[in-house]
Amino acid sequence: MKRKLFKQVCSEWRTNIWLALELFVVSVVMWYIVDYFYVKLSVFSQPRGFDTEHCYRLSFNNVTDKNPAYIPDRSEQEQSDDIREILSRLSHLPFVEEASLSINSHPYNTSNSGISVYRDSLNTEGYVVRRVVTPDFVKVFRYEGIDGESPEELAEILSRGEWLVSGLRFNRKDIDQKDLVGTEFFIAGDTLNAYRVGGAVRLVRYDDFNEWGSSVIASPQEDWYAYASECCIRVRPEEDKDVQRRLMDMSESLFHVGNNLLVNVTSFEEVKRRFQQGSYNTFRDMSFMLGFLLLNIFLGLFGTFWFRTQQKASEIAIRKSLGATRGDIFRRLLGEGLLLLLIVTPLALGTDCLLAIHEFNSYYDGGFLSLTRLLATSGISAALITLMIVAGVLFPAYSAMRLDPAETLKDE
Amino acid sequence: MIKETLYNLRRHPIVTGVTIIGTALSIFLIMVFVMMQQVKVAPFAPESNRDRMLHYRYISFSNKNWDGTSSNNGSMSWDVVKNLFYTFDGAEAVTGYSSGCDVKSVGIKGEKPFAVDVRETDAAYFDVFDFGFVSGRPFSREEFEAGMAVAVIDSNVARSLFGSDDVEGRYFSLNGGDYRVSGVVKPVSPLASNAYGQIWINTLSTDTPVNSVWAIIGGAYSVTMLVPEGEEINDVHADFDRHFEAYNKSIEKSGWFIISHNRPYTQEKNVVGEWANFEPDVDAYHRSNMIVYAILLLVPAINLSSMTHSRLRQRVGEIAVRRAFGATRRTVFMDIINENLCVTLIGGVIGLALSVVAALCFENLFFAVSFAGPLNGIRLSPSMLLQWSTFAWALLFCFVLNILSAGIPAMQMSRIGLVNSLRGGANK
Repeated sequence: MKRKLFKQVCSEWRTNIWLALELFVVSVVMWYIVDYFYVKLSVFSQPRGFDTEHCYRLSFNNVTDKNPAYIPDRSEQEQSDDIREILSRLSHLPFVEEASLSINSHPYNTSNSGISVYRDSLNTEGYVVRRVVTPDFVKVFRYEGIDGESPEELAEILSRGEWLVSGLRFNRKDIDQKDLVGTEFFIAGDTLNAYRVGGAVRLVRYDDFNEWGSSVIASPQEDWYAYASECCIRVRPEEDKDVQRRLMDMSESLFHVGNNLLVNVTSFEEVKRRFQQGSYNTFRDMSFMLGFLLLNIFLGLFGTFWFRTQQKASEIAIRKSLGATRGDIFRRLLGEGLLLLLIVTPLALGTDCLLAIHEFNSYYDGGFLSLTRLLATSGISAALITLMIVAGVLFPAYSAMRLDPAETLKDE
Repeated sequence: MIKETLYNLRRHPIVTGVTIIGTALSIFLIMVFVMMQQVKVAPFAPESNRDRMLHYRYISFSNKNWDGTSSNNGSMSWDVVKNLFYTFDGAEAVTGYSSGCDVKSVGIKGEKPFAVDVRETDAAYFDVFDFGFVSGRPFSREEFEAGMAVAVIDSNVARSLFGSDDVEGRYFSLNGGDYRVSGVVKPVSPLASNAYGQIWINTLSTDTPVNSVWAIIGGAYSVTMLVPEGEEINDVHADFDRHFEAYNKSIEKSGWFIISHNRPYTQEKNVVGEWANFEPDVDAYHRSNMIVYAILLLVPAINLSSMTHSRLRQRVGEIAVRRAFGATRRTVFMDIINENLCVTLIGGVIGLALSVVAALCFENLFFAVSFAGPLNGIRLSPSMLLQWSTFAWALLFCFVLNILSAGIPAMQMSRIGLVNSLRGGANK
């Protein structure tokens, strides 16, 4: 049976070569897309290291000098005190659970500050984000210690002026984050001040689709509040209703301090959407491409097999009159489609490997190619193609199954 | 010819349907992709002059005392806008404006304030970008230079503030300061990224020119220059390069110098480059677009080839008779190609129509931008999508698809052996 099927596929090579070519191109492109989704979804499903549910970002702006309440020549100390007052007022609101100030630190951030730290011959490798925050920042975003320390315990470490570290990579690979706790580091360019690492937190990823998250979290002892660019709050879950309007209603009365005025409140849902829109757009494009390829296979198989069953009507009728069941006819036609896929699959797999070796696909978990990943992604894409082959062959096969041998062979 | 084609198509309704759907699907996706790229470069109000624009969105600079690899990259200071760009006389108009929009609070006395996207501009901004004024006018050069607190607002904001469009001369509060409405414009789509905003205020009425400066050159501004009509963009660019060199020399003593990175950029180069610290690679952008087009064309072309081949196999006898009666190979080949072109064009028209409908119905899906403000949606209009170039692209893709899908089968059929074909031997 199998040999017969193979012979038949070979004897019809003129049309089959088109189908095989299409299946090959589609297999490769589909693998690339499935691999992209595999990587992104794998990263997405990992813990983020922070929690932005019930969190909001408050934007403050300086009132203009046209405002009668504008205070000219505000000193840095006064500006700092104004910000401190705002933070205190926020913390006292009954629906606010935690409030914090920070510089380029909150999740889904379009800005970041870099830092490089060292001790003796030990240097950080790659980009390390420096998060300058008030201690309560880790409570707002619910950071967790590597040994299960609570956000409150982590905040306590920060308030002592000690650092928290997350996912640091060094020029020595044997360093574990836990090994860093209790040690002291210098910031590149500063040989005078050593900073003690008070704790290690679980990897705080930069966003939902990024594996990377090297960062140093610090709450400097000197007064930096005048430069705080971010104000974030966590509200009590049961009070998370209409928060933006409630805060904006208090804008003039409670949050106009010095020259600072609350101008906007954005939920972290929206902050996240804006930051990740680029990734969402790529997802959209890839999904369309995936759908397009699948639909093409369906149409290709459907059209070709429709023709084929019409042309082979008498052959099918003879087979039926010689005792082939409806199931045999269906299996035969489906077998043709699947055999073609089987023939092109090794070629496609080889091409997939070649693309991965040349690093055309996405980087994940330390590389571009691994056996599990290749098997999973090529398996998924082959399964999707098989599904489309079945769908494409179904209708032509159904019409072939219903052929009446006597009617079809009447002319013969 | 058309009659014959239609007859042949009607003979195999299912295969004809599949062929048309396959073509329509391919053209649909290609055209959606073309439109997504097109809205970045095609002219539409208020960026109708995109083909004459030269952008200086970011500036890169360094200091002679730095290590030679370090640079600072971002928006520029008002001093640079004034001293480097306003002094350049090779452009029809030069405008300096805040690189992004800032969320500010607006309201009128007794009403609750709300957040809007505010852009700070000069007076020339309204010469470079052609806003559709519903009422009033842009603020004048004199008002701008006097630092008057004047603003142009969009009609959505006007209605939210005053309940009307016709509000020239009325006052509103912006972060607590009073601003006079100079004019009201139609809302601007965030897809016009340089013109986008909901309120445009006189930047000299704020402290941004003074307070945003970092190391003389860094700041909060971008610049767009309008190339005079009829002049070559490259000539103006070359003129600017000379002007730029002279400026760099003039600030030599300060230790700072500006790195050119071949700026200013045309509209396309400007949208390709998201980063401030290197020159955008337009060729790489074109290459990746070509790969997408190739996949979108090649896969259906293989598909359609297979079906064309099957369809033609049934007509071997007919083709052989035509050849026997004197039709040349070329005639047979061209007939098949032309016949197929009819099918491709039908599919192409359906695909193009579907793409426009889909783009308009799902504008937030296809054209989402990450910075869209709190009030303005994407706002796509048919005029933004249906440029002449859209039709030209659609037609071109139809021709390419036609040649790709019918070329090889037509060539095979034009070369069939007459004797065997008439005996039915080539019917394999």
